[in-house]
Amino acid sequence: MADAPARLPRDLRLDFFRGLSLFFIFIDHIPENVLSYFTLRAIAFNDAAEVFIFISGYTAALVYGQSLRERGALLAVAQIYRRVWQLYVAHIFLFVIFTAEVSYAIVVLQNPMYSEEMRVGDFLQEPHLAIIRALLLAFQPTFLDILPLYIVLLASFPLVLLLLARQRYLPLLLSAILYLLTLRYGWALHTRPAHEAWYFNPLAWQFLFVIGATAGYGRIAGAPRLPGHEWLGRAATAAAAAIALISITWTAHWIYDPFPPLFAKALWSATLDKTNLAPLRLFSFLMLATATTRIVRPDTAFLRAAWARPVILCGQQSLYIFCLGILLSVLGHFLLVEVSGAIATQIAINLAGIGTMIGVAALLDWFKRASRRPGPRPSSIPAMPSE
Amino acid sequence: MRLFVISIGLLAVMLPPAERAAAESAHCAVPREIVEDEPRLARLAADFKSDRAVTIVVIGGASTAGLGPEISYPYFLEAALRRHHPKQSITVLNRGVGGQTAAQMAARFAKDVFPAAPSLVVWETGTVDAVRGEDTNAFADALTDGIAAVRQHNSGVMLMDMQFSPGAVSVINFEPYLEALYQAAALEGVYLFQRFNMMKYWDEAGVFAFNVPREKRAAVAREVYECLGERLADAIDYAAR
Repeated sequence: MADAPARLPRDLRLDFFRGLSLFFIFIDHIPENVLSYFTLRAIAFNDAAEVFIFISGYTAALVYGQSLRERGALLAVAQIYRRVWQLYVAHIFLFVIFTAEVSYAIVVLQNPMYSEEMRVGDFLQEPHLAIIRALLLAFQPTFLDILPLYIVLLASFPLVLLLLARQRYLPLLLSAILYLLTLRYGWALHTRPAHEAWYFNPLAWQFLFVIGATAGYGRIAGAPRLPGHEWLGRAATAAAAAIALISITWTAHWIYDPFPPLFAKALWSATLDKTNLAPLRLFSFLMLATATTRIVRPDTAFLRAAWARPVILCGQQSLYIFCLGILLSVLGHFLLVEVSGAIATQIAINLAGIGTMIGVAALLDWFKRASRRPGPRPSSIPAMPSE
Repeated sequence: MRLFVISIGLLAVMLPPAERAAAESAHCAVPREIVEDEPRLARLAADFKSDRAVTIVVIGGASTAGLGPEISYPYFLEAALRRHHPKQSITVLNRGVGGQTAAQMAARFAKDVFPAAPSLVVWETGTVDAVRGEDTNAFADALTDGIAAVRQHNSGVMLMDMQFSPGAVSVINFEPYLEALYQAAALEGVYLFQRFNMMKYWDEAGVFAFNVPREKRAAVAREVYECLGERLADAIDYAAR
């Protein structure tokens, strides 16, 4: 989210894999998109959402943890809430776009055949309630559900951070307990009306964020290596490979029906509960993350290759690129539906979207560098009034 | 070209009624893999062989109720099945009620479905759950429980998924609910009638234009229902072969 600290060498793996997960989230958010067969979920039980939340927790602890240690709790908390505010504004912006889209769609849907489908616009019958619910994050229309999760996780992060600074493993323990109780008793936050729950249950997903934060804080505070980590690492790599193999047979089955999916009856339903971060999804992600950090080291050559640069740029500007990706997926889907759903169009829309994300990331990067560079001192020009 | 049109017209006049109807619905033919599924309907197959009277209940939402008793796909399903099985007494009961979730429909089974002792229950569901963003796990549970209840009453069961509309899919997230339907069908061994894919195919192939001016919409609805009824009859015959 924020800039990596200056004194620790920047771990480009964080930027690279976060950038990659942003591309995947964009692609996965366009329904009926042929490229979504080839994102992370094709080779794992989890998808890019887990990667994004974990890395966000990791970098949050890295950045705000250093702020906390060097400049005190007050500034660290203020910085966190500045980010929360930016995310909130982005959410409201996306809500307005969604409202425009629904308003358009229900005019098109004015067909007696689609009386039930038209009720998607019911919230427009009571705009005063709908807008207030949106402001309170209690209205989460389709496709706009990750940002509220992120807002809630980051808004409660000061508590996690202050605990981390006192007792490194206490947040992890508390978080694990909350996760297990949530799974056991089906706890959930509710949105409008009472029976609707958040698509991403923050009470479950906080666990992954805190796992990431604990790991990230360990990097600034110096974490002891786990005993037997070599052996554990090998086991995790083997598990990740097995999961990849199974998942690939499922993907192949989706594309070509007669292809037999391995262990589908036993495992598939256990991967479906994304709302509550199903344990099998969490396991799959942790194995994949462990395997990846063993195979890709911070000094691995490809991280400095020219082709990796655009991905890393997107990862470094992740707040903006994340919101842009959600917006582009909404627009992309709209084009697929209204213009053409042909495979060539699908690929063109994916490429155009990713190209736009990279272009905007490069622009933001340039803007940041150029603003930091000291300009010529204006000696004769009167000082500008401050904002 | 004109000769071709005339000969088609002559063909239509010369054909006996049953085949003429089949030719009328030929414009909305779909690839076999959209209609055909693996699970078989054993009880219905036995009924067809023995010429017993057959009752089929179609339970679902507003799209099952249709725009009126004779402007609905169950109505056209009955007509098509009677054509396919001219010696048999076939009754299709339409139990469509708009605005209900899968769980609410399953709660109606005892009143609306079981008293008719049907050979087959066609269960059209998922739209309201998707529109309201209901919990997908609860949706999947309702499907599994509903299927089990129908089977306990010794009726065959067929699932039907949502309607496709180019306007709806951009604002309603059907995917998790379609996935739950496919999963329930696969795990329970239930025939799934792929209405969503079928209508999507018609849209892409230009068979129907779903975005039409207001005054043409009712006519399009009737045609779509007729085609759905025909294809559903094909699917039922295939499953009860």
